[in-house]
Amino acid sequence: MITKKLIDQIEGEASVYFDLKDEKVDYASIAFPHFIGIENILEGKSVLDALVITPRVCGICGHAHLMACVRAIESAYKNANLPVTLSKKAEDIREFTLILEIIQNHFKWLYMTIIPQISKLSGSYQDQHPLKGAFAASLATKALAIFSGQWPHASYMIPGGITCDPTHVERLQALSHVEELITFFEKECAGIDIDSLLSFRSCKEIDALQSDIGDLEKNLALSKMHLKGFSHDNFLVLGKHDFSTQAKLKQMRVSNVDTRYIELDDAYSPDEKSYAKNATYNGMFYEVGPLSRLISSNYPLIKNMHRRFKDSTYTRVMARVFEIAVLLKQARTLVENLTLDEASFFAPSKIENLSSTGIGVVEAPRGSLIHKVIIQEGVIKKYEIITPTQWNLGSSPKNRLSPSQQAMQGQSVDDALFIFRSFDVCSVCTTH
Amino acid sequence: MIMNNPSQKISIMRSKLELKPRLLWLQGLTCNANAHSFFNLPNLEQLLNKFEILYHPSLGTEYSFEKISECDMVCDVLIFEGTFDPLLKRNNILMLNILTHYAHNAKHIIGLGSCASFGGMFKASSPQRNTGLIFNESLKEGPLLHLEEKVINLSGCPIHPQWLGFTLNMIVQNRPIAVDELHRPLELYSHLAHHGCTRNEYFEWKVDSKGFGLKEGCLFYGQGCRAPMTHSSCNKILWNEVSSKTRNGTPCFGCTEPDFPRTDLFSTKTNMSIPADVPLGVSKRSYLTMVGMAKTFSIKRLEGKLIDYKKTD
Ligand code: SF4
Ligand code: SF4
Repeated sequence: MITKKLIDQIEGEASVYFDLKDEKVDYASIAFPHFIGIENILEGKSVLDALVITPRVCGICGHAHLMACVRAIESAYKNANLPVTLSKKAEDIREFTLILEIIQNHFKWLYMTIIPQISKLSGSYQDQHPLKGAFAASLATKALAIFSGQWPHASYMIPGGITCDPTHVERLQALSHVEELITFFEKECAGIDIDSLLSFRSCKEIDALQSDIGDLEKNLALSKMHLKGFSHDNFLVLGKHDFSTQAKLKQMRVSNVDTRYIELDDAYSPDEKSYAKNATYNGMFYEVGPLSRLISSNYPLIKNMHRRFKDSTYTRVMARVFEIAVLLKQARTLVENLTLDEASFFAPSKIENLSSTGIGVVEAPRGSLIHKVIIQEGVIKKYEIITPTQWNLGSSPKNRLSPSQQAMQGQSVDDALFIFRSFDVCSVCTTH
Repeated sequence: MIMNNPSQKISIMRSKLELKPRLLWLQGLTCNANAHSFFNLPNLEQLLNKFEILYHPSLGTEYSFEKISECDMVCDVLIFEGTFDPLLKRNNILMLNILTHYAHNAKHIIGLGSCASFGGMFKASSPQRNTGLIFNESLKEGPLLHLEEKVINLSGCPIHPQWLGFTLNMIVQNRPIAVDELHRPLELYSHLAHHGCTRNEYFEWKVDSKGFGLKEGCLFYGQGCRAPMTHSSCNKILWNEVSSKTRNGTPCFGCTEPDFPRTDLFSTKTNMSIPADVPLGVSKRSYLTMVGMAKTFSIKRLEGKLIDYKKTD
């Protein structure tokens, strides 16, 4: 018998269809019923318009789309042997705003999704403060908007740099918002200062915390999430940033990545029309996102968790929470050290003369995000977007399960639904 | 007599006050950015506490969407975010049916964002059928046209959190909200995005920006800034309380207007070197006379760099 569950209170809407055997999931398929068609909308437009259109794929990670888009256009210039110069200042500011968008995403996911759901599942009634997530996110986006003008939906990254030209007044204002956010995180979320948290080596240290994160850890353990939600133990990080290391890890064997091996195929969803596509590398599913990033960057705490509990839901959830601390520290360092004496923008050659192809890869909140573009005389011939959720939330037949399908195997429906949400579901990105 | 007992009166008033308006947040085809923008509102909690929230797409609320889609309750304030697609289903039920049911009973309907107001960015998803609630771009056409007197449009891609905050607070206080011909609150949309931009002086003296990435110069002539033709308060009520696109050197794309998204957004359309569009309500002749005059002056302070870091750092 197939049981349908509508997943709401995520970004958009999804359905999971469970085929149960002895009340455990024997097979789960995933459907994303809505479709926007951004790629079609882009065709025939001036390629710079993509900087305005692609952020609108997603209200929570539009900034990552902006960065993937600008990187794709810049790579097209380079592929046509036309130089693109970026100042370190422009690169640092881009990186800073991207990081803050990831931070706001994780805070919302923590307080609006994961804590309410684990509290229900574990029956422990952990205090719920969804608006704490909104408050923290608003501080992060304030620091971000100082450089980007606004969040959501800024278009301040352009080929050759950024449109803003900040002074130290803005830099210090951004720093003070980041510091306020760090204090909020330490007091209201972690219950410990950020440097101590980052030096943790074992789960016991988190378990001892009297805080939202400590409670979350205890409830995950109470719900036996360290023994559930195992996926393929394959991780992929494609974006190039200071806060993560590009790599492909197959059962912890590390190798280099090459985006030429990425493929897309239609998702398999026998019970409902789905507009989703599956992303694979060399024909295999890989998990992308915070857990992959932290494992590839060798954080001792996460490595230790992984050694003990593999890629269980416990490890996956705690990695996402831990990444907030990693990124907050990185954001502070970036804005503290930002130098302003370089130009924000070096004009590349005229876009109307550009005929080329380009690819832009970044790490978005949910993992690696790819934009590919074919340009003819400055006009988009073809645009393709591969989102992180197409890796994690793919839907395939039983002999070839996606990371989230695999993680739900053998679990009760309630557990499986929690496990599904641990991947930070976003339907708007999945089907764009 | 009951009516003569003052304490009785007070308790009647209290219980009336406690009847909070019921708020429902529905979505058409959307990127959820209006919901996320709204989360940036300072004092969000105080505002939300003034409502009984039946359903919101990302906050844990009283009812699940499955329950809402059964359409056996009513709401007072209906927020609709996203383009209206007549074929869209949620939970396998036509959105049109859910929308019509709640809209019929609601006292106020808010079209949230340019998609719900005019079709917006996602109209292009199915241009033949997608519309806003009562407008298809600027044509009067949409599923709630028969209820248009209840509809308030908050255009913008996305909305500024304070615009929705303002509208909801006015509703709570039972104050009338005056709107323009596109059903947008006058108090939010009678300004132009240009008002309050830090580059205003450059606009006045016709000092064009020499390119992107500069504090100096106006983006109207070269970089496609639509702010003098765009109704919105982006430079009056700052974004995220700190800035705006134009302050940060990004042109205004005119996202609050029915023709958003236009094309070639980073350049200004010109005919024989004259901008195709001139500031709202200004005749081309007056504009050109003004430009001609301003261009005869050369003002050193406006031509040069405001700060030279090479000298100061
Ligand atoms: S940049 Fe735009 S908003 Fe600013 S002064 Fe010029 S025209 Fe006005
Ligand atoms: S400045 Fe213009 S484009 Fe930007 S949000 Fe405001 S109205 Fe929209």
